[in-house]
Amino acid sequence: MSLQAVVKKDFLDVRRAKLVWGVGLLYTLFAVLSFWGIGSSSDTDIYNALFSMAGIGVLIIPLVALVAAYLSVAGERESGNLKFLLSYPNSRRDVVLGKFIARAVVVTVSIVVAFVVGLGMAAYYFPSVQLPDFAAFVGVTLLYAVSYVAIAVGISAATSSRSRAMGLAIGSWFVLNVFWNFLPIQPATVIEFVADKLGTSVSDNFKDLVWSLSPTGAYFNAIQPIFPERITGGSGAGTNAFYLQPEFMFVILAFWIVAPLALGYWRFERADLG
Amino acid sequence: MPAIETTALTKRFGDVLAVDELDLTVREGEIFGFLGPNGAGKSTTINMLLDFHRPTSGSATVLGLDAQDEIGEIRERVGVLPEGLELYDRLTAREHLQLCVEMKDAPDEPMAVLERVGLAEEADRKAGGFSTGMSQRLALGMALVGDPDLIILDEPSSGLDPNGIQHMRELLREEAADGTTVFFSSHILSEVEAVCDRVGIMSQGELVTVDTIDNLRERSGDAGEVELTVETVPNDLGLKVMDDVSDVEVDGDEIRAYCHNGEAKMNVIRHVDRAATVTNVVATETSLEELFNKYTGGGRDGLDDDARELAEEREAEAEVTA
Repeated sequence: MSLQAVVKKDFLDVRRAKLVWGVGLLYTLFAVLSFWGIGSSSDTDIYNALFSMAGIGVLIIPLVALVAAYLSVAGERESGNLKFLLSYPNSRRDVVLGKFIARAVVVTVSIVVAFVVGLGMAAYYFPSVQLPDFAAFVGVTLLYAVSYVAIAVGISAATSSRSRAMGLAIGSWFVLNVFWNFLPIQPATVIEFVADKLGTSVSDNFKDLVWSLSPTGAYFNAIQPIFPERITGGSGAGTNAFYLQPEFMFVILAFWIVAPLALGYWRFERADLG
Repeated sequence: MPAIETTALTKRFGDVLAVDELDLTVREGEIFGFLGPNGAGKSTTINMLLDFHRPTSGSATVLGLDAQDEIGEIRERVGVLPEGLELYDRLTAREHLQLCVEMKDAPDEPMAVLERVGLAEEADRKAGGFSTGMSQRLALGMALVGDPDLIILDEPSSGLDPNGIQHMRELLREEAADGTTVFFSSHILSEVEAVCDRVGIMSQGELVTVDTIDNLRERSGDAGEVELTVETVPNDLGLKVMDDVSDVEVDGDEIRAYCHNGEAKMNVIRHVDRAATVTNVVATETSLEELFNKYTGGGRDGLDDDARELAEEREAEAEVTA
């Protein structure tokens, strides 16, 4: 009952928040550009367009999710709104979970809108549309987005002010996304370097695992089986290590949903509010 | 069963002792005014009653329920107007009340509540555009949803105009007449005087006194002062030695005598009348402001002599009762 009330309140509030919708529409804009650009060139099919969506997605989707949720708890805590929710029969757990559900739905809707537009354009540009693969891709992408919503809500619940929440949100985007998976110096190479200096070495499997431990790494590996090899270059194949299989990537994504929420709630439950 | 009871309730923020071993009892059905200057520990106490803050030590019960372990049930039966409540800018007044009704599973009609607090015409305006007074009215309405057994209001009158304050008092009296306990904090005395059955005064984290306003006046010693204007002030007044006169000041042609009771005031007037030609007499009661300042040492500026005296008296009293 009270969990529903928190979710409902949040919807009422967020549906009028222009910033959240503005950022949400960003992905739709890129979807239009991707499908248009790739659809217009020769020798391409829907997989090219989807792969392009993944490449853009790992930069845009964390931003959409973080912007949509980083103030969800901390903003209300700083302004005093939170005292309203907690003066009624809502527990602190209801607040954290309710915020997570509401913001996850908002982000999901904005991503689904982007893919509905993309699907329409795909039907126009490409001779065939592989619906099951398309749906699977959207599904994994949503899971990825929800993991970042959980990270943002967790950060928000753990911090007492808007500025701190913003700092941590930006920091998490940089560390878990840019640093972990895109910079030449990243955790996997740092570990390799340190191991080398210590006179030992790490296996490629281990490096791949480290790379996969971030939501973005796990997402990239999880979508591999959806694409034909000519697009992915067949990477990730050729190893039997269970922790590099696509199925294990879902375990990592699930971890990124549960752990930030649990940690955020743990801090929030013990905090003095207002 | 008391509506609110705290036992040695303490809250420390780092080096600051915000609330120091507070023992407070609010009886069922009364209107209790929780007074004190800003920073005296009122809001911290209320925050602990509502589980916004966790006590450093000690305990509190609200409606007989533990303020931490049974906070869920407390929230179902209490109406709250928290300090510094911010409304949701993007929600209308009606939407705010609908949420309250749903969260409390209450039978209230949002429009009826809005009418009670005088906001019916603003029902569909977003709270973001509300004045402080309108926000406060809406917040008061939200606290009334669900016919609570206890209403806790933290500085409810801030931002209200005199009309609004009057209206709020009437609402609180109506609620109290229904058997609801009302507990509200304020740093403005006049408000408390008009509606409260009893008041408790906080100063620097401690409850310095709990009593009715009348008893407070009496206990503070001075019933007031009498001010006489005379043609010439006699050399030897002899007022200071009279019974129940605590102090005498002479300023030009004015004589001011501080008295413990009304009888002493009358004696002063008769006495001076015999010794000089009196051209004017003004007798006043101790104002509540003075009373308040006495108990709280004039706020954060530190204890003045009166307050120190009172504190010593209190300690002596406590020793006797112990």
